[in-house]
Amino acid sequence: MIKTLLTTAAALLLTVTLSAQDAEVADAPKEVDISKLEWTTNWDDPPIGDPENAIRGGTFHDYITAYPLTFRLFGPNSNDSFAGYNRSFHHDRFTLVAMHPTTQNWIPVLANEWSIQDDNRTIFFRLNTDAHWSDGEPIKASDYEFAFEMLSNEKLLKTPFYPQYMRDFFESVEAIGDDVVKIVGTRTSWRPLYNYNFWPMPEHAIQFDEEWIDRDNYTPPVVAGPFTISGWETGNSVEYSRIDSWWGDKHHYYRGMYNPDKIALRVINDSDRAPDYFQKGELSQLLINTARIWAENMDFDAMEKGWAHRRRLFVEVPQGIYGIIMNLKEPIFQNKDFRKALQHLVNFDEMNSKLMHNAYYRQISSFYGTPFANPDLEMYDYNPLKARQHLMKAGFSKRGSDGILSKEDGTRAEFTLTYGSKGLERHLTLVQQTFKRAGVQMNLRLLEPGTAFANGMEKSFEALLFNRTANFYPDPHQYFSCETADKLQTNNNWSFCNEEVDELIEVYRFGDDADERVAAMHRIDEIVHDEAFIIPFWTGPFVRFVYWDYVEYPEFYYPRMTEQLMDYQVYWINPDKKKALEAAMKENRSYGKDPVVDIDPYDVQAKLEAQAKVAGGGE
Amino acid sequence: MALFRIDPITKKRFRRFRKIKRGWYSLILLITMVVVSLFSEYIANDRAIMVYYQGEIFFPTWKFNQMDKFNQMDDFGLTDVEADYRLLREQFEAAELPEAEVQPFFEAKGYESYYAELLAEQVKEQGTGNWIVMPPIPYNPIKSDFNYEEPPPNAPDGRHILGTDGQGRDVFARLLYGFRISVFFSLAVVLFSLFIGTILGCLQGYIAGWFDILSQRGIEIWSTLPFLYVVIILSLLFSPSFLLLVIVMVLFQWMGITFYMRTEMYREKTREYCLAAKSMGAGHTRIVFKHLLPNALVPLVTLAPFMIVGGIFALTSLDYLGYGLPAPTPSWGELIEQSLVTTNRDKLWLSLSPFGAIAITLTLFTLVGESIREAFDPKQYAKYE
Repeated sequence: MIKTLLTTAAALLLTVTLSAQDAEVADAPKEVDISKLEWTTNWDDPPIGDPENAIRGGTFHDYITAYPLTFRLFGPNSNDSFAGYNRSFHHDRFTLVAMHPTTQNWIPVLANEWSIQDDNRTIFFRLNTDAHWSDGEPIKASDYEFAFEMLSNEKLLKTPFYPQYMRDFFESVEAIGDDVVKIVGTRTSWRPLYNYNFWPMPEHAIQFDEEWIDRDNYTPPVVAGPFTISGWETGNSVEYSRIDSWWGDKHHYYRGMYNPDKIALRVINDSDRAPDYFQKGELSQLLINTARIWAENMDFDAMEKGWAHRRRLFVEVPQGIYGIIMNLKEPIFQNKDFRKALQHLVNFDEMNSKLMHNAYYRQISSFYGTPFANPDLEMYDYNPLKARQHLMKAGFSKRGSDGILSKEDGTRAEFTLTYGSKGLERHLTLVQQTFKRAGVQMNLRLLEPGTAFANGMEKSFEALLFNRTANFYPDPHQYFSCETADKLQTNNNWSFCNEEVDELIEVYRFGDDADERVAAMHRIDEIVHDEAFIIPFWTGPFVRFVYWDYVEYPEFYYPRMTEQLMDYQVYWINPDKKKALEAAMKENRSYGKDPVVDIDPYDVQAKLEAQAKVAGGGE
Repeated sequence: MALFRIDPITKKRFRRFRKIKRGWYSLILLITMVVVSLFSEYIANDRAIMVYYQGEIFFPTWKFNQMDKFNQMDDFGLTDVEADYRLLREQFEAAELPEAEVQPFFEAKGYESYYAELLAEQVKEQGTGNWIVMPPIPYNPIKSDFNYEEPPPNAPDGRHILGTDGQGRDVFARLLYGFRISVFFSLAVVLFSLFIGTILGCLQGYIAGWFDILSQRGIEIWSTLPFLYVVIILSLLFSPSFLLLVIVMVLFQWMGITFYMRTEMYREKTREYCLAAKSMGAGHTRIVFKHLLPNALVPLVTLAPFMIVGGIFALTSLDYLGYGLPAPTPSWGELIEQSLVTTNRDKLWLSLSPFGAIAITLTLFTLVGESIREAFDPKQYAKYE
């Protein structure tokens, strides 16, 4: 449910993020002599997968929740459950450069080298000349030009998202010769590779005209990745096959990835039934999204006999701010003691153990999952006594005949929480009860998600359930600057303004020193935490999945920044184990239950639990 | 008062109705249930009905009492939060024990030893001879009971006769309060829609002509509005409240009644008694209210029970869909919604309780409705006239 919520919020957010880009428009870029450019690259990080152990071959079975309305990567209907898979073989992964999902450094992909100019918006990329399309044609610089033209053409593309994205981020994309691409972004940026990364489209394979949408509806797209659609049964299944000699097999970072020969996707309309298909052996691996299924339904036969395994892999993905936020324009929330009192009245441990199977962790930082999160923040512990003292300090000293506190002047400790997520109601009513016992009345107001979001942007709320997606580079200017505090339609829904924070934001946005920037963000995090206007909720910093014994993974299972299991396909199928498993199942011979569940190669769980202990022991 | 004068026909109808046993008993049962539900706070509540403490008598049902009034203190050392009456009952019980057994008594109840010690001290201060009367179900429909090992929902046992829901709230308490809300919601909707529908229907039938034609067309247009969508949209834009939902329901319910009233009026106004009244110089108001209306009420009486059924059902559906009364209002629909969550499908008490409650209530109302219709059926007494 949190996932759906995020998607809704993300969709709505997009407009905001795009329009509220940081940094101002720079001067016109200077003419540059390409032969004199200084090139940067990075071949020193470890491969993403495990080329030493990976075995090529076999068929991997997975599912999608609906049969694709189109195989196209762009244009109408190209954004359904199948799109996640489809894009993972093209522009989601195969861009000029990429962030290494474990080391978080930039690594070359379709470009071998890059050169960022002083204006911080012009970048030259020298292409990897080995790279070729899935039909064997080489990927040329002109394919990037074509991609830019194609994705900017709203008339033929018929969907507004990419044209808007192109307009907002790219001034020009230009081919220089066959192997150099020059990209000019719309604004200066201190993270130009992140903002102005791009991908090609196969000019030779797409006839981009009025009929394009219908013609290519069910034409398997030509992509830069290792798999192409090789078969489909309308309504039921889609099959991907590995191309014969993929350029990535010789690429330092992509060796040992994308190992199966085939990926068979079947349509299972009801995700709730996917576990049944898995138990019958019709899926090789399955992501488990529901805490309750994870806690209660993992004792099926194959699991008990050790034929299947389950893993909860702790990963580190940036999370946006998520929790109850307070509108600092409201008189009741202008008192910091009142805000702190509420912080001390959220009994997360009880909620987690009684409603969420102890699956989640408190998300303390506003920049969670990024290097900018302050690791030393301490959660406000559940403590009604401390809350009581804060309430007294805030002037709420009298108890009314209904048990609600009020000030001497009659102001009641009462406010309304607006929220758009029905699924969170049970958590919120619990919070409501602890508040009430302490003498604070919180009324609940459920609105349609879009309306709730709009109320936030209009700042017409007292308290709000707030939920944003985040990316690797947080944008505190949008959330915590004085400039956005008084404006509507910004992410500064709480109207926060603080001079010190403003100065720190400048350091973060325009400073040259990487460490200073991180330090500035840590301080912002600390101030925001101390101001206590965000009651942070929780996060599930893991992927939970089950898989059959014949699927094997690198020692670390998946890279650090894994969100969806298809993001980085590092697994492989072990044919010997597959045969052995078939034999064992025939004889009904048990392997013995696999005791391992939690995997924490990146020390995420360890860190979170240490933090939780600090919070609990902070008496 | 003329409207409610009991004429011989009505009396005869009432006698007939009483003779139809299933309807009559259903009515008695229903009325009992409604009356009982009015006292829900004394049946299922975590506040005591009556406390006798150190020579003073308290009635906490409608009044907030702090812990220190009864010498209580919670595990955080707070004394100004609401008194815990279930605990108080245990403390009064423990007060009768020898002093050495008090702390073990609380430890056996699952309290941590440091808190049990604290409770024992409180017991000493409270002294003996106090007593407390708790409601038969000492749980509130809104507060969670998390004192089980297993996370909720917990199966029925001695503590919660119908188990708890996904938030650890007592299912019986929620059913009880939910019944009161549903029934009174439905009664409000039916009364208001009858009022509006009757007036407009009468006017249509009595004035007739252009007024009739125009208002009929208006109703036709109005009735094409999809009720459910309008409710959903409204409840998403404005936080739904009891009053808002009643208003919205009434907006869509009154139309059906106008059709009946209109035809009744058309028929009745051509009858001799009406012409007679007119020829004696009676005014329109007098004719409509004194002569026509009492004779045209039959369809309303027979319709009303079924409308109540519809109202209960509508509220339950809206709550089920999540567009009903705001959380944490006790509601049947919300319980059904919980029971249909995939992972709750094996928690039978969650589905059986609200379904049972709905089935019983709706059956009772339907039986009453059926019987009224039978009692009012003109064919049976036509021969006596």
